[in-house]
Amino acid sequence: MAEVESVGVLEKKYSRRTFIKGVIATGATVSASSYALRGTSLLGAATFQTSTERLITLNVNGQQRRVDVLPHETLAMTLRYKLNLTGTKLGCDRAECGACTVLIDGVNQYGCSILTHQLRGRSVVTIEGLEDADTGELSVVQEAVMEQGGFQCAFCAPGFIMSMTAMLDTNPNPTREEARHALSGNLCRCADYDKILTCAMRAAELARSV
Amino acid sequence: MAERLVGADHAPPDLRAKITGRARYAEDFRAPGMVFMKLLLSPMPHCRVRNVDATRALALPGVIDILRASDVGEPSDRPSESMLTDEPLYEGEPILAIAAVDEETCAAAIELIRLDLEPLPFVLDPLESLRPGGPNAFTGGNQFSGQDGWSEYKWTDAEFAAIERGEMPDPQDMPTTWSKGDVDAAFAEAAYVVMEPIVHQSLTHHPMEPRSTMAYWENGRPFVYVSTQSAQRTKMGLADALDVDPEDLTFVSEYCGGGFGSKIGGHTHMALAPAMSRKIGRPVMHRVTRYEENYIGRARPGFQSWVKMGFRADGKCTAIDLLIAQESGPYGASDYNSAGSIADLAFTPENIRFRGVAMYTNTPPKAAQRGPGGAQIISMLEPIHDKAARQLGLDRLQVRLLNAPTADVGFGPRNGTLTSVFAREALAEGAEIFDWEAKQALSGRRVGSKVTGVGLGLSPYTAGSRGYDGLLVIRPDGRLYAYQGVGNLGTHSIADTVKPAAQLLGLNWDQVEIVWGDSSRGMPRSSIQAGSQTTHAHSRANYAAAEDALRKIRLVASRQLGGSPNAYQVDNGRVSGPGGSMTFAQVAERAIALGGEFDGSTLPSDISERETVPAAQRLAGQGLMGVAADAYGGNGSIYSWQAGFALVELDVETGMVEILEYVGWADCGTVIHPRSLKAQELGGSIQGMGMAMSQRWVFDPRYGVPFANRLYTARPPGFHDVPLEMTAGAVNIPDPQTPVGAKGIGEPSVGAGAAALTTAIADAMGGNCLCRTPLTPDIILAELEGRPGPWSRLDQHVG
Amino acid sequence: MATIKDMIPPFDLVQPTSVDDAVALLREHGANAWVLAGGLDTFDWLKDRIKRPGVVVDIGGIQELHGIRDAQGGLEIGAMATLTEVINHQRVRSEYSLLANAADHVATPQIRNQGTLGGNVSQDTRCWYYRSGWPCYRAGGNTCYASAPVAMNREHAIMGTSRCVAVNPSDTAPALIALDAKMVVQSPRRRTVDAEDYFIGPTTDITRMTILKPGDLLTQIHIPATWANSSFYYEKVRDRGSWDFQLVSVAAAFRMSGSTIEEARIAVNGVAPYPVRLEGVERLVRGTNGDEATQVAAGDLAIAGARALARNDFKIPMMRNLVRRAVRSVA
Repeated sequence: MAEVESVGVLEKKYSRRTFIKGVIATGATVSASSYALRGTSLLGAATFQTSTERLITLNVNGQQRRVDVLPHETLAMTLRYKLNLTGTKLGCDRAECGACTVLIDGVNQYGCSILTHQLRGRSVVTIEGLEDADTGELSVVQEAVMEQGGFQCAFCAPGFIMSMTAMLDTNPNPTREEARHALSGNLCRCADYDKILTCAMRAAELARSV
Repeated sequence: MAERLVGADHAPPDLRAKITGRARYAEDFRAPGMVFMKLLLSPMPHCRVRNVDATRALALPGVIDILRASDVGEPSDRPSESMLTDEPLYEGEPILAIAAVDEETCAAAIELIRLDLEPLPFVLDPLESLRPGGPNAFTGGNQFSGQDGWSEYKWTDAEFAAIERGEMPDPQDMPTTWSKGDVDAAFAEAAYVVMEPIVHQSLTHHPMEPRSTMAYWENGRPFVYVSTQSAQRTKMGLADALDVDPEDLTFVSEYCGGGFGSKIGGHTHMALAPAMSRKIGRPVMHRVTRYEENYIGRARPGFQSWVKMGFRADGKCTAIDLLIAQESGPYGASDYNSAGSIADLAFTPENIRFRGVAMYTNTPPKAAQRGPGGAQIISMLEPIHDKAARQLGLDRLQVRLLNAPTADVGFGPRNGTLTSVFAREALAEGAEIFDWEAKQALSGRRVGSKVTGVGLGLSPYTAGSRGYDGLLVIRPDGRLYAYQGVGNLGTHSIADTVKPAAQLLGLNWDQVEIVWGDSSRGMPRSSIQAGSQTTHAHSRANYAAAEDALRKIRLVASRQLGGSPNAYQVDNGRVSGPGGSMTFAQVAERAIALGGEFDGSTLPSDISERETVPAAQRLAGQGLMGVAADAYGGNGSIYSWQAGFALVELDVETGMVEILEYVGWADCGTVIHPRSLKAQELGGSIQGMGMAMSQRWVFDPRYGVPFANRLYTARPPGFHDVPLEMTAGAVNIPDPQTPVGAKGIGEPSVGAGAAALTTAIADAMGGNCLCRTPLTPDIILAELEGRPGPWSRLDQHVG
Repeated sequence: MATIKDMIPPFDLVQPTSVDDAVALLREHGANAWVLAGGLDTFDWLKDRIKRPGVVVDIGGIQELHGIRDAQGGLEIGAMATLTEVINHQRVRSEYSLLANAADHVATPQIRNQGTLGGNVSQDTRCWYYRSGWPCYRAGGNTCYASAPVAMNREHAIMGTSRCVAVNPSDTAPALIALDAKMVVQSPRRRTVDAEDYFIGPTTDITRMTILKPGDLLTQIHIPATWANSSFYYEKVRDRGSWDFQLVSVAAAFRMSGSTIEEARIAVNGVAPYPVRLEGVERLVRGTNGDEATQVAAGDLAIAGARALARNDFKIPMMRNLVRRAVRSVA
């Protein structure tokens, strides 16, 4: 076979003319939002995709957010790439680490393993939604972490903090062992477990004293 | 009076951002028009790419471009890694990269690519490659030297016959050999000699954050958002890789989600996104997946080894004979060399022989992993050492103390010395805190099906370096700005290394601003964040800069207010003396007015011309500048120590081990940040426990394909795998050869945790050392039941 | 074709609100349809791009599949009840704690919050050859990679194999068998099978773990009152304390009369392609007080005929010991 040709973005037949026509047609310029999943409505170009995005309204951090979501799009991807909420992390994308933990109707779940379209009518809370939207005051869990100096690289921190928040909802007075069990779906590779657990116990203490 | 900083706990300055979701790691950045890039990985452990037909892929709507190996480098005849390759050397090695408007399109495009691959012979197991007639990882051979190129190194039938008989093979021509004294004579006279074949398996680093990169170019200058342990050093390396002036590179890495040695500088694939971006003229996001981290994310080299140790009746180790065949992946590693030196240092044998060979294999690349070589060897040798103590009827702690070094130690092939060593102190103090006496009494106690085991290990690792630069500016707002070229990988050293400097200047912590993570703000010449050196190297460098600043503050004050400069003292953001007092804000303004060395308009001649001067020049005229090279000097290597103690319960009916208690106690010089120290000690210890108990690679040997390539199959320790509460601390004796007295701690902890486990498990099994890792329930149960174990002693890549 | 992972291939998503609608959709789309319950099994297949259904039928919106209700003295658990709901249900905890205990050993809290009981019992095996998409018998091919002498089969079966040596990975399955649960399946008409008959071995159909064929839906799990408040024993042996599937697990229910075992139901998982009910052991312990001799005999009987592969011999003593411990728990 012939050598592979490099293709600059505007050089192939599927190309500049279509691109610009598409952009003009949508009346949009290529904007700051970028999508890991198909967002090419902005680029005006059809793609190979057989499925289409649907506009849905999501309740995220207490706000109603309208967003185009593909049927096979996970919540973690929607949050990170369409709603600019990058606090929820992708550690494995396979429900094996907990970095993507969010609250769905107050319950901690892995955002990488649920379809956004499964969340109509349900509330989603992410790490960004814990602090007071008006005053910026940190939540009780966040205060406890600040006080105890929790976490090292902290890539796991948002996920853990969501799990701690959910824990306090169901078990306001946990033993250290119960707290550990509640947090056992979050991995920390820096292995800051001892300090993280101390933060969780302190959070429970602070919450009870409020 | 300003608050005490050194030895006190303070929340790191980046904590709030981390826990509110504001902290941005590499994959969190976005740029207008950003497109995505994904990799096509080799499906075979060794092959040649005869042809790539990407026609259909490139015709797919939304696909932008492709990168091949020839686009990103010259093919090499040496075993060096490049970003993309046409001769993959492991299953999972990236062959090409596709850029498209979104990841979905990238994936669909990759599936449309037709690969024509020629399978080549592969080898996974170093011993297989050592076998006469055995396969080699490279077509050229299994050894490479710059001078002689490729060659083949094989053992003979005699060696393998010895292995068959359970003996230590005796190859005469190992590529690396050094010895001190006469081990054979020492063994002949020893009261107790033990020889064991031992395997320590490879395991992937798996930092929580995969090594994604985002990059774009503007006016020929690259902007790169990366995940890396270091900062200034990575910037220099990346600039080289991109062939740009370092000052033209804007390098952003404010947060790194862990590395443990796999992202020390510019890891190989960091330059791919910039390369693609340069080619297509668009910002490129290269999101690396966890699956890819298994492959390009690095792993610790495994060892297949034979250890022979000889002891006198009083427990003194008189000889160590160590033979290591290292599983080095396709691109080599040097763990085994460190292992030899550390064995010498940790046990101070009167005689030692070390023989090692690095064997290339068609497995993912190896790199230093937290305590490279040292963590493995301590984990491996401590149970053997314990066995000797038990056989000689001696207390293990006493024997360990006896064999631990003192200040006059000379270790390794060149008899290196240390700046300080308080290993015995750490061991003794830790033993008290653990209550070794009482715990020892529980050793072997059986209640129901549970047997108690108690273990200890003493683990050293490098912990410092010298000669970097510090850069501080006191601005007219009165605050101290510390410019850190140090990476923020989660050790908090970006802040901790500034504390002694700030304390010298009499400041409270809230008067200090750490500036890090963005090269455009100025980064002085810094160390890599590896080898646990940062605490030592940069507490010194920043301290030197603080001494420079203090000298200038006093000069400014004395000129302004009268009197001798040395009569002026600093406290709480003010300088006061015979003529009166000035705030630091006022000092800063005076410094700007004075110019010259005061505001960095002129710079000292001993700071790095290439690396620090440009950073200082950016900051000239902005306040009072403290800038200096670390010229404190010193003799000997800087090493830290951690003693690890564990109490476990082994269930003899299931083989499961529960770790009930753990204490880590260190000699790491002056403790700057106690809470951070404890976190480092326990974090590393737990990584060691993972090494000892659950983590490994698993390959199907017929196809050369790994199966423990998911995070859950890799089995890093979780919350339920470690004790509910753990203790750690340090003897806190200053290293006399560094002004701050502080040494690093990140790495000794891994060997300590691993060894505490391997010895505790052996103890629970009556002193029977299983001599392999990880010690999973199946291996333990098979041993207890006297049934065939799943693996032979020397198997690698199994689980 | 070159391969890539971690990108779900596109599909059309349908979200029926009744069982009838769901079944109709499954019939309509046949092999091109996939049932999405909690998703924890589904997304692995999809993210590996090995399964590519054109239509995914999300049954999360079907109300009648949710909830836990009292029924004929026992419990009726909707197939979509999450594992957390099962664990926290007052009657499950107080009367059928065996199930709560087993469910609490599944994976992690987040997975339990989302994963369903129906999904947990219906999940596919985790043999890593099969899960990597290799063309083995179970995948419709004509070989078994895991049974080769040098294969990595530490986690595979020691009994019940027939060409395939994979194991059933469910934690709740042995507990449901021990509780004599009944599985209600819509296929297309409603039928009920005993839990132990819900799981099939390779001799029945090597490509499936359960009786569910494409188009079938598990709708409820009935726990009869029979074993409420019995003496229970559950244990799961695994490498790590979270996430990990079992090496071997045991679930047992004993009805005691004083110190005598009146009746017993014992099941073990992780040892065969289906959870194994140990009827012989149940008969052996009946009428005894579970003394040590009985424990030993029970363990030995449980493993009679077990045959190890190259790497999993340890499962034989492990299974034996777990059965002993189950009996010991009521001694």
